[in-house]
Amino acid sequence: MTLYIIRRLLWAVLVVNVVVFITFLVFFKLPNGNPALRFVGKFPTQENIQLAEQRLHLNRPFYIEYFYFVKNFFAGDEYGWPGLGYSYGNYVSVRSEVLQRAPRTLFLIAGAATIWLIFGVAIGVLSAVRRRTAVDRAAMGFALFGISAPVFWLGLMALFLIWKKLGLTDGSGYTPIDQGIGHWFGHLILPWTVLALLYIAIYARLTRNNLLETLGEDYIRTARAKGLSERRVILKHGLRASLTPIVTIFGLDMALLVGGAIITESVFNIQGLGWLAYNGAITQDLPSVLGVVICTATAVALANLIVDILYAFLDPRVRYA
Amino acid sequence: MKNPIRKLTWLVGLAAAFAVASAMGASAHTTASSTIKSGGTLNVGWEQAFNFTDNGDPTGEYLGEWFGIADNLLVRTLVGYNHTAGAAGNTIVADIATSVPKPTNGGKTYTFHIKQGVMFSPPVSRQVTCADEVNAMQRLANPKDGGQYAFYYTVIKGWDSYAAGKAKSISGISCPNSSTVVFNLTQPTGDFLFRMAMPATGPQPAEVTKCFEGQAGKYALDLISTAGYMYQGIDQVDISSCSKLKPASGYDGQTQMILVRNPNYKQSTDPTRKNYVDEVRFLIDASDVDIYNKVENGTFDLAESTIPNTVLKKYATDPSLKSHFFQNSGDRTWYLTMNMTQPPFDDVHVRRAMNWIIDKAALRQIWGGPTVGDIANHIVPDTLFNFKLQEYKPYQTAGDHGSVTKARLAMKGSPYADKTGMCTASVCKNVLLIADARAVDPGMVSVIQQDAAKIGITFTVRTINGAYPTVQTVAKNVPISERPGWGKDYADPVTFFEPLFDGRTIIPTGNTNYSLVGITKSQCTKLKVTGDCNTYNPKTGLGVLSVNSMLDKCSPLTGTARTVCYEGMDKYLSTQVVPWVPWMWSKVTRITSSNVTHYQFDQFGTTPAYAMISVKS
Repeated sequence: MTLYIIRRLLWAVLVVNVVVFITFLVFFKLPNGNPALRFVGKFPTQENIQLAEQRLHLNRPFYIEYFYFVKNFFAGDEYGWPGLGYSYGNYVSVRSEVLQRAPRTLFLIAGAATIWLIFGVAIGVLSAVRRRTAVDRAAMGFALFGISAPVFWLGLMALFLIWKKLGLTDGSGYTPIDQGIGHWFGHLILPWTVLALLYIAIYARLTRNNLLETLGEDYIRTARAKGLSERRVILKHGLRASLTPIVTIFGLDMALLVGGAIITESVFNIQGLGWLAYNGAITQDLPSVLGVVICTATAVALANLIVDILYAFLDPRVRYA
Repeated sequence: MKNPIRKLTWLVGLAAAFAVASAMGASAHTTASSTIKSGGTLNVGWEQAFNFTDNGDPTGEYLGEWFGIADNLLVRTLVGYNHTAGAAGNTIVADIATSVPKPTNGGKTYTFHIKQGVMFSPPVSRQVTCADEVNAMQRLANPKDGGQYAFYYTVIKGWDSYAAGKAKSISGISCPNSSTVVFNLTQPTGDFLFRMAMPATGPQPAEVTKCFEGQAGKYALDLISTAGYMYQGIDQVDISSCSKLKPASGYDGQTQMILVRNPNYKQSTDPTRKNYVDEVRFLIDASDVDIYNKVENGTFDLAESTIPNTVLKKYATDPSLKSHFFQNSGDRTWYLTMNMTQPPFDDVHVRRAMNWIIDKAALRQIWGGPTVGDIANHIVPDTLFNFKLQEYKPYQTAGDHGSVTKARLAMKGSPYADKTGMCTASVCKNVLLIADARAVDPGMVSVIQQDAAKIGITFTVRTINGAYPTVQTVAKNVPISERPGWGKDYADPVTFFEPLFDGRTIIPTGNTNYSLVGITKSQCTKLKVTGDCNTYNPKTGLGVLSVNSMLDKCSPLTGTARTVCYEGMDKYLSTQVVPWVPWMWSKVTRITSSNVTHYQFDQFGTTPAYAMISVKS
């Protein structure tokens, strides 16, 4: 197992490198115009443009820039380790930007994931064991609504009703946890719920389908024939086997949200990593984009590894040499 | 359009804007009668990101919104403005100089005397001197410090030598004593005082700026103020050595700029700023919808953000909210640009026909109707001519909807057209039109296509998210684009004419003379222009026209002669050169919270006059 993990970690480093290389390539080779133009005013001279290119390190060949980026990343730069350079937009180190925004995104994802996992799996199980009843139909109707309702609409509606009209939460924005857990929670409860709604729907459907399939297996019939309680049959034998695909998708969903919760972050003014990436992309701020890409790619690679390890615990047939 | 939420809101709300426009009529006002009091905090929601062009470093920063902050709250200049709306807000007044100087030496020398009591904020905390003015100007001249409008100051003697590193100082700036600064120019320059009111010229202390030499933008994090406010925490910054210098806590470049009162500021030295509030907070917020929710509930008092049309409608139509709804001239022209080297727009007849055929009212309607601006009838907004060209409407049509008859009449003179005034030549078909990808662009393109088809011109439309870089690359040879808009830097028409029509300043990328007015054959070869670079032939109407000599003639003039000269240039451009189809002069709309007791507009920055706004708490 240890060898397997080491091998996978090395692969993860390679994958992250490849992703960063491709991002670098796209920004350097396929830019929408010269990023330096943003920093030379609306009536620039050729000399100003060249100086800005020099300042932003856009005047050297792509592969040299990439080399320096990788070198600074591993060796660190003037702002510390890992060296991510500074934002073209505000001259703040990308490392500090990522560190400032990461807790926002991570708390958002962790809270939402907890909600969607608990409710999604519970609804899925309930729906599967009460198949073709009103409970099943209501649960699947809810799932359909969750999948169909766009996050931005749900978010705006939630803010309008629960914050603006009823004043039940602290509304949009983000308060760090060290400035009061109440306000921290008050600002996050709506985004957690809204982000979780979509995933609850997906997880409920997934759980229901998997569980129904599993409950039709011979070994479930055997378990029942042995006289095990229905609760034990469903939760120990049925659900455990149904969880393997749930774990797969759960790991990836969480990892992808590291840089991909842009709409939720936008509607609720959380300004996390997704927001940083979006702003970086539209302003051609390559260092900021790379900072988030590295975070996301690392998260995806690690999530994949964790998921694979969890397989072994969930499914006795899976063993890693 | 900066973000997807806003984009969606735009789309949903365009129809609502029409209703708003109808409801508003001409009743928009500029100031509120109210109780003014000192104290409290002004909270300003700022959408998405500050988007400063140089992070707010006065030497390089070129964003109008930042000019409003700097000019009102942080950076005093030798001469400045009254921080009010309209013509009064465009008039030069003394700021840290004791008076507005009269030029001597045939218009080539300006002498300013610095008021006693004008101090730098902590941690510098000393009187502003001539050396600080020289320091600011040297930063501006040094290309490595990122000056983005240094071109305005090349008329100062010795500027170019210093900029090129051939001189240790700018010979045309001298300090007879610590409170007197003298500028010697190479030629009379009628708008020099306007240039000296730009924030980059505000004195800066060398003991701090020396730590940021050659690091454009970084000084912004430790900007030392001379006005009524300063960054929160700047007084805690250790400036004893560059290595100890850390950014002030009040401004992080990404989420907030918090300004508190500058304890060294003496109101008696400043007749132009009232500085009512104790603190001003500029806070980044992700979406316009969220921002205006917060303006409504008083979390924010003002917003630097697109106004969702539902909000616009509400404030424009609800009588109880109208005292929080303000509109002023934005001193900005939106236009279609036509490239004089690219057929069929190499023919002035075609360009005139385009001016006659385009339904300007329809284009404006797509943006929200009369709420968002006035129909543009010529190049420079009327406000910059003090409305002297208000009646000058060379292409006026009924309801500003365009005229097929007049367009075809204009087109008849073209070698590309038939006798009916239809453009039948092959060059009129599938002409490349570069469009942006904002919410308004599809509608605009549709109007332009339908209108141009009436005179025989058809387009191949290429939509680019962020079209400016393409349009600004000369070698792309873009024939026409609907993207451009241009706003003044200061209240002089030269800030339109020189950047936009001087053929000598055309550069390969980042070029702002999109029409290539005044381009020469040799420039065309060098810049890879593939079209018609011949000089203008009055018999055919084909070829490139130039206004370079007119620019040189107008530039040194002052007073009425200057205004008349630029009026003539606007008319010449509008009817003889015809590089554009100007279609709207946009307005600036602001909504305030109920916490704001007095609002004022700053015409120079075309932003709220932050120093003149008061709040309840």
